[in-house]
Amino acid sequence: MLQRMVKVQVLGPKKDLESIVDTLYQVGTIHLEDASRSHEQGGIILQKVEAKEADTIAANLSKIEGIQLVLPKKPPDLTKQTEIIQILSQKGQESILERAQEVIHELEAKTRDLITRKTDLEFTIANLSRYQTVIEKILPIEGQIPALEGFEITIILIQGEFEGILELIKEKLTRITHNQCELISAPIDEDTIATVVVFNRKYSSDVHTFLYSQNVNELRLPNEYLNRPLNEILLLNEERRVAAVKEVLEVEEELRELSLTWQDEVAVLARLLKDRHEEIKVFNKFGQTDYTFVMLGWIPRKFLDSTKKTLHERYGDSVVINELPASPEMMDEAPTFYDNPAFMKPFEYLLSAISHPKYREIDPTPIFAVFFPLFFGLIVGDIAYGFIILGIALLLKKKFGERLDWIHPLMNLMIIASFPTIIFGYIFGEFFGDFGENMGWLHPLEIMGVTWHRLDALIPMLVLSIAIGVFHIILGLSLGIINQWTKMRCTKYVCECRKHICEKAGMIIVIVSILILLGAIIQIIPEILMYPGIVMLIIALALIIYGGGVIASIEVISLISNILSYARIMAIGTSSVILALVANQFGGMMEVAIVGVIVAALIHLMNILLKMFVASLHSFRLHIVEFAPKFSEGGGKLYNPFGKGDRG
Amino acid sequence: MDFGMPIGAGIAFGLGALGAGIAMSRIGAAGAGTVAEKPELFGYMLILLAIPETLAIFGFVIAAMILIM
Repeated sequence: MLQRMVKVQVLGPKKDLESIVDTLYQVGTIHLEDASRSHEQGGIILQKVEAKEADTIAANLSKIEGIQLVLPKKPPDLTKQTEIIQILSQKGQESILERAQEVIHELEAKTRDLITRKTDLEFTIANLSRYQTVIEKILPIEGQIPALEGFEITIILIQGEFEGILELIKEKLTRITHNQCELISAPIDEDTIATVVVFNRKYSSDVHTFLYSQNVNELRLPNEYLNRPLNEILLLNEERRVAAVKEVLEVEEELRELSLTWQDEVAVLARLLKDRHEEIKVFNKFGQTDYTFVMLGWIPRKFLDSTKKTLHERYGDSVVINELPASPEMMDEAPTFYDNPAFMKPFEYLLSAISHPKYREIDPTPIFAVFFPLFFGLIVGDIAYGFIILGIALLLKKKFGERLDWIHPLMNLMIIASFPTIIFGYIFGEFFGDFGENMGWLHPLEIMGVTWHRLDALIPMLVLSIAIGVFHIILGLSLGIINQWTKMRCTKYVCECRKHICEKAGMIIVIVSILILLGAIIQIIPEILMYPGIVMLIIALALIIYGGGVIASIEVISLISNILSYARIMAIGTSSVILALVANQFGGMMEVAIVGVIVAALIHLMNILLKMFVASLHSFRLHIVEFAPKFSEGGGKLYNPFGKGDRG
Repeated sequence: MDFGMPIGAGIAFGLGALGAGIAMSRIGAAGAGTVAEKPELFGYMLILLAIPETLAIFGFVIAAMILIM
């Protein structure tokens, strides 16, 4: 059910605005609307409240979060954090910003220097490691590199697939250096070739410019490496690398020490500033006069008294919450607040994938909570499968429920759906397909003269599926009429709603008249009823054409198609049984018993996983494609209270 | 043995499934592009993707009726 909402106007003295906003933020029940835009003709025009502190808080929050990001993570000391929160709360809101600025002053420069040093050092280590690899590889060709006075050495790296380009580079360099260069190559790994270029130093600038312009990956060794033997360079390089690694460790240690001292306070300040920023962000939704402020919003009826009580206890009669008279036009704008029992929450989650109902519409969640498990059970319908699905859902919920948001509601959905699966499994006499029946443990039940063995009773299953479809669609259309009736209270919608009601009523009569005609044709009802059936069909078509025009009469075909679509319950259910039979027969064909059991178990497991997904998807689809459009307009805005926690 | 009925059932189901497959491939490709840009439209994409499935189900029902009735 959707919770009743009340539109409220909060009035109070402007001097207490910040404190009142803070109280409302802590209570977390009001869904705010822009009060500065709302004024009646001839009334006082309200000015927007400007939040002066917002920019300062945002800037400080960003700095604090930056520091928090740099400090290495350690397990939080919750007792210390609570103490800090208490101290800051006692001193008041201003002290949070003051303390944040002190902490920023103390830590910002220090952490920035440390992290810059660390990044530079890590970059240096990466470069030194790269030199190491290349120099080790070109060490064997050192003898070929001429040691000439006034010559410079550089190393270029070429990808193996572009080896041919070396010839072009050599040709060009020869021209630039007037034949005073030499290129010696050695492979570094499977993909890269290192080429040592020795050239006259007086052409240094031209050579480097050329290499840079051609986008050649040049490994420029540091100046102190030049004119040294490669062995010496290797040793020097390693020394520098070790020194850099040591320095990184020292920097990390310094950061760790800072984190030990400051992390908890920084975390608390980040949280408090974030809260404060959230509070202040909404200030421009408030209206003000010279001495008072006005805020508008929605509060669920069940939270109204507690909110009023809290404000009264803190501010006495200086703050007033006025309940605005609920006109249909106003209620058309009310936010949607689901207020269903806990077991229906997973269905709300599923519905949130499409669109939320408007406030005045019927909440589809309870209907969804009845029919989704029913469809799932009818499709899967196997005792063993039901228990296994229950086990898998409980296991996944326990293992991943905390870490992944979506696992929790989806597994709860599977847990609920597993019970009708077990019940229908008992009715269909299925335990791992026909395994239970073959063992003599159970048999399909006989209800209304039909033995509900799903393979033998294909036609009864088809009729049952279609009958469920007829009921479901008529229910949807009836809810649609109720929704339109409610919407009609809003005068601007009267004409439109009247037509919709006629159209939906016409659709219901079409279904009933088609059933009567079919019944008369196959003679399960007296043939004479065919004439009232025809009259009903004509009346229904007239209503539909009045409601939605000639185009709407074509909708009758899609209505029939929607009902026939419920045949999928039988069709997918049958495929599930057949796959279970295949598993049993395939397992039985194996000569070694244990192999047969394993093969059958694997196919059954595959069938279960497939059916968990397919049965959910099709049950969901029947609701959102066939059922929901018959009554739900959607497009409702969800109740989003101003506060720390989401009560919705 | 009369092969007419199984062949007829096969054609009914096969063509239904083929039609659904062609429609879903196009909707799925467009839907994947949509979801990549606007993940919040996943629910609507699922609805559009689910619509042509009915063709395959109808095919199956007709095939089953040919074989049984």
